[in-house]
Amino acid sequence: MASVVVDNVTIDFPIYGSTHRSLRQTLFARTGGLIRREGHRHKRVVVRALDKISFQLDHGDRLGLIGHNGAGKSTLLKALAGVYWPDFGSIRIEGRISPLFVSAPGLDLEDSGYENIKTCGMFLGMNSDEIERKAPEIAEFCELGEYLELPVRTYSAGMITRLCFAIATSIDPDILLLDEGLAAGDARFAARAEDRMQALIQRTRILVLASHSDALIKGMCNKGALMEKGRILAIGPVKDILAQYHQHNVEHAAARA
Amino acid sequence: MKAQYETAWADIVSGLTQWEVWSRLGWQEVKRRYRRTVLGPFWATLSIGMFIGGMAWIWAPLFKTDVSSYLPFLAAGLVTWAFTTAMITEGCATYTAGSGVITQLNFPYSVLNFTVVWRNIIVFFHNVLIVIAVVIALKVRVSWETLLLIPGILIVAVNGAWMTMLLGIIGTRFRDIPPLIGNLVQILMFVTPVFWLPGQLGGGHRVITFNFMYHLIEVMRAPMLGSVPSMLNYQVTIAGAIVGWLITFELYARFRRRIPYWL
Repeated sequence: MASVVVDNVTIDFPIYGSTHRSLRQTLFARTGGLIRREGHRHKRVVVRALDKISFQLDHGDRLGLIGHNGAGKSTLLKALAGVYWPDFGSIRIEGRISPLFVSAPGLDLEDSGYENIKTCGMFLGMNSDEIERKAPEIAEFCELGEYLELPVRTYSAGMITRLCFAIATSIDPDILLLDEGLAAGDARFAARAEDRMQALIQRTRILVLASHSDALIKGMCNKGALMEKGRILAIGPVKDILAQYHQHNVEHAAARA
Repeated sequence: MKAQYETAWADIVSGLTQWEVWSRLGWQEVKRRYRRTVLGPFWATLSIGMFIGGMAWIWAPLFKTDVSSYLPFLAAGLVTWAFTTAMITEGCATYTAGSGVITQLNFPYSVLNFTVVWRNIIVFFHNVLIVIAVVIALKVRVSWETLLLIPGILIVAVNGAWMTMLLGIIGTRFRDIPPLIGNLVQILMFVTPVFWLPGQLGGGHRVITFNFMYHLIEVMRAPMLGSVPSMLNYQVTIAGAIVGWLITFELYARFRRRIPYWL
């Protein structure tokens, strides 16, 4: 059984300027004098990225996060992934969770394609047996053939995309977190990639997807959450939320005119 | 705070059990040094070797010591020094170097620390060839005591692991620390008996007795020279491992969850 319970989550980002991060200031902050002249620099800048977020997802929920740049979509995904621990509130996850933000974590351009399948697979939470089992299927899907023996830096951008996509979509998560769709390369590959992506989503129990594309959200999600300035303004059926988002935009544009 | 101790403990334990990951990452990084070069990581070995050769030629007469006793001492000492201090200096950048994965995934960060330690153990076994060459060339007495090198490496590695974690945390938060540590290590090299023999300063001089680095070096160097490290060497290094890990654990529990925010 997979579930996600987010309760009153708040995340603040401390912003360290180029000077603030140095030890000098922290040391002198206590001794006074010098710091006073630099007082304006000493101010601690904090950005509230998520503000009292609460929601719950159960088996079969496919949630689309909708909102402008900087609304907190990616931060929410990363909080769900356990990258950022919330300052306040709690997140309870049941099930194996897989974040796919950059499609291949740990990719090294100097290593060969095969070596990267192993390294990235490990970072995606597979053990070596699992990787061993899936490597032929990954190799077959990306159609890189003998190129897999060569260092990834010799690949074209499209070939790297294919490899990353094939690795990323080989996982078996209960809960899948996606930040925009995964890039898929040329038209012919994109069609096959679409099928593979759908298959991945079919075998996950819960999906959370952040996207600016209406088509992507409509195609993959049954629920929507409208975000603004770190808050969830509304959560509900995906069609209603998208409609609300567009109305919201129209109102904003009208207000500005 | 209890939950934070549990998280830190779980991180270190599962980091250790994921030996497949850190051993692979460590090897992979060494392998990258081999790519497109003939000597690969042996370039570092060669440069240490040439340095030792040059030093022995000049310093042995300067110290009025016999080359055949000075050269093995210098070789074993420098190779150990390189191993120990590489963990310290590279340790400062453990988490900044791993920012690509830390900001994308939730995994035991200690895997990155064990990667640094393991990679340097592999590099040490490249460099140790210099010592073997010197030992053979000068017919240094090899004995059963030489086997004490293995627990020696283990002790230094356990100490190195907490150092990479402690300095990794501090170095991520305060970006002045890595260059500062780099400078300190250089200075330490001159106050630690690596180039000069401990006896030259008179047995129990404070610079030697209270120098943690000296004891760390000695648990590996003495066996390579066919002798047994002193009881004090073992006491200090084992106590250092315990105290170091306790302090590091406290700090890791407090700040582990802040690391992604600092990157």
